[in-house]
Amino acid sequence: MHAVVAIKQVPDTSNVRIDPETGTLIREGVPAIVNPYDIHAVEAAVQLKERVGGGQVTVITMGPPKAAEALLECVEQGADRAILISDRKFGGADTLATSYVLARAIEVINAELPVDIIFFGKQAIDGDTAQVGPGVATRLNIPLITYAVAIEEFDLAARRAVVHRRVEQGIEVLETTLPVLLTVEKEIAPVRHAPLPRLIAAARYQPEVWTATSPVPFDPQQIGLKGSPTVVGKAYTPAPRSGGEVISVAALGLDAVVARAMAVIEQAHIRNLQPVTGVVS
Amino acid sequence: MTGRLTFDAIVVGAGPAGVAAALTMARGGLNVIIIERGRFAGAKNLFGGVFYTHALADVLPDYWERKPPFERPVTEQGYWMLSPDSAIRVMHKSERYLKEPADAYTVLRARFDPWFAEQAVAAGALLITRTTVTRLLKDERGRVIGVDTDRPEGQVYAPIVIIAEGVNNLLTQQAGLIASDLPPKYVALAVKEYINLPAKELQTRFGLSGPREGVAIDVFGDVTLGLPGTGFIYTDQSGISIGVGMLLDEFVTHRLRPYEVLERFKRHPVVRPYLEGGEVREYGAHLIPEMGYDRMPKLAGDGVMVAGDAAGMVDALHREGTNLAITAGKMAGETALAAHQAGDFSAAFLSQYRRKLEGTFVLQDMKQYRRMTDFLESSPQFMGTYVNLLNEAALRYFTAHGIPKRTMEHEILKMVRERRSFTGVAWDMLKLMRAMRG
Repeated sequence: MHAVVAIKQVPDTSNVRIDPETGTLIREGVPAIVNPYDIHAVEAAVQLKERVGGGQVTVITMGPPKAAEALLECVEQGADRAILISDRKFGGADTLATSYVLARAIEVINAELPVDIIFFGKQAIDGDTAQVGPGVATRLNIPLITYAVAIEEFDLAARRAVVHRRVEQGIEVLETTLPVLLTVEKEIAPVRHAPLPRLIAAARYQPEVWTATSPVPFDPQQIGLKGSPTVVGKAYTPAPRSGGEVISVAALGLDAVVARAMAVIEQAHIRNLQPVTGVVS
Repeated sequence: MTGRLTFDAIVVGAGPAGVAAALTMARGGLNVIIIERGRFAGAKNLFGGVFYTHALADVLPDYWERKPPFERPVTEQGYWMLSPDSAIRVMHKSERYLKEPADAYTVLRARFDPWFAEQAVAAGALLITRTTVTRLLKDERGRVIGVDTDRPEGQVYAPIVIIAEGVNNLLTQQAGLIASDLPPKYVALAVKEYINLPAKELQTRFGLSGPREGVAIDVFGDVTLGLPGTGFIYTDQSGISIGVGMLLDEFVTHRLRPYEVLERFKRHPVVRPYLEGGEVREYGAHLIPEMGYDRMPKLAGDGVMVAGDAAGMVDALHREGTNLAITAGKMAGETALAAHQAGDFSAAFLSQYRRKLEGTFVLQDMKQYRRMTDFLESSPQFMGTYVNLLNEAALRYFTAHGIPKRTMEHEILKMVRERRSFTGVAWDMLKLMRAMRG
């Protein structure tokens, strides 16, 4: 079994403060951590490896040299191989460019040792887009299951798996072929306290570093700022929603309250839909 | 599980004592593991203060080329003696302080410790963080043979363990080197804030001509409400470390809240203008062992040595501790190297660690000031009465009221007599001299 986990090093947002003048995050002095969902993804991969009785877990990340720290934490959690994709040329990448780089890296890794499953956290806590995992699945043209919470079955021989995913109404149970790409919720696997021998192994481990040209070339048109069509127009804190209406069942009776609520919802719905129909027509 | 995790030496704690020991042993060819409970070396540390470089130069002669993260060289230092509304300030500034590497730097240990630990790692030591040593492992004869940690499969073995665990000396107790917790009478509590100020503004306020100048001030008197203890103000690169340290006992007896004492200090009319507009970035408190020479633990047992705060290696009078810790760590490391060479890890062999330390300033200074803590506690007039008296006298001396100078001198002497008789003063001076001479 070969699992690839893509992770991101993010500022610990529980420690982040906002600069009151510019409205941007003050990143200086904020400790960097492995994106919380990603560490669960690593754990899920390691536990899957244990479940099927062996294999390899490869962790990759694109980021500055400092992101090697995050990879080492994954090695502590049980990853066997860690690759840091790092080059100034990758800088300024949006989710499109990032998904290109990760997909290309996974293709190369797959050529060395076929990949059965790919894990992502459901989203990164600094950008919150949840786009890179799905982007990679699309580029690799493999099944994608987002918000995965459990792997019920994993059959390497039959090349199939059964995965639970969280949806608003409850749990969806999906059957998929392999390879598959999962973006995971924290429930997928609780993070265990890493054993001391793993910490020692990680302290002695040196992650591989891949650049824009070595060991394989990346398409210069699709990486970094050049490969990133996204432009941030403005970043601001939206004004908190105001008002709301409290309708008392005791005072009006249930029917009247439901009728009133339905009227409000209908109105709001129509208002929200208007710009969409505008675009379509 | 595959076999035991075995090293030549285990160091508990990545503070200055532990790192100095690990560095010395790694350079001597030993396979060393440092186990630190913080997220990184220095993560548990609060120290913002003065760091003396001589001990570092001893362990790491080329430290200057390795670009230590010092804040500012100390180019002006001295004392402020506060009364409730005034201060006598005795500061020493010299051109001779301007030569770098300087004798002393202000340092934020949360920045310095990771750098120092890196030097030990570069020398070959293995640094494991986020791991707490929970107990010592001993053989059937009670000799220390390793440690257990809070990690799964967390036991590590080595013929020698150097405890540099800091002021909470649980392992030192377990090793049987000290009988019990430190009594509150011999532990100081320091509370400290780091206040951010732009470097330019900081330099203007403290009269510094650039980033290669800095000030270290020890403050007495009203800062501790006249009780034994000191305050401090140190300039960092772009901020101020300000704090107060008093014996735990004093806080308890006088029902003082540490942060209130610090707030009061910050509001003092002489202090306040230096801090104005600064942003408090960090607040914290830390214990400092001031047990003194006579209550230090035994420094070595079978397979174990202790260094730094855990061993009470602090010279409170001269605000020194980090340099004592580094020198002691080095001596412990050298002793471990000798023990490996001789194949003898017995308490008898390791006792040469103490003998080495006796030949250095570490134990000599501690011995000389062995009575200091007791002296200050039994003579509160030094921090209270005298400081106020000096301020009052200065006020009379420096103001003109149209009275003859002779009358003014008489008034000052009368004041002294009223607050503390001449024989009292003479007696106090004698006691002070005895306390200083050891």
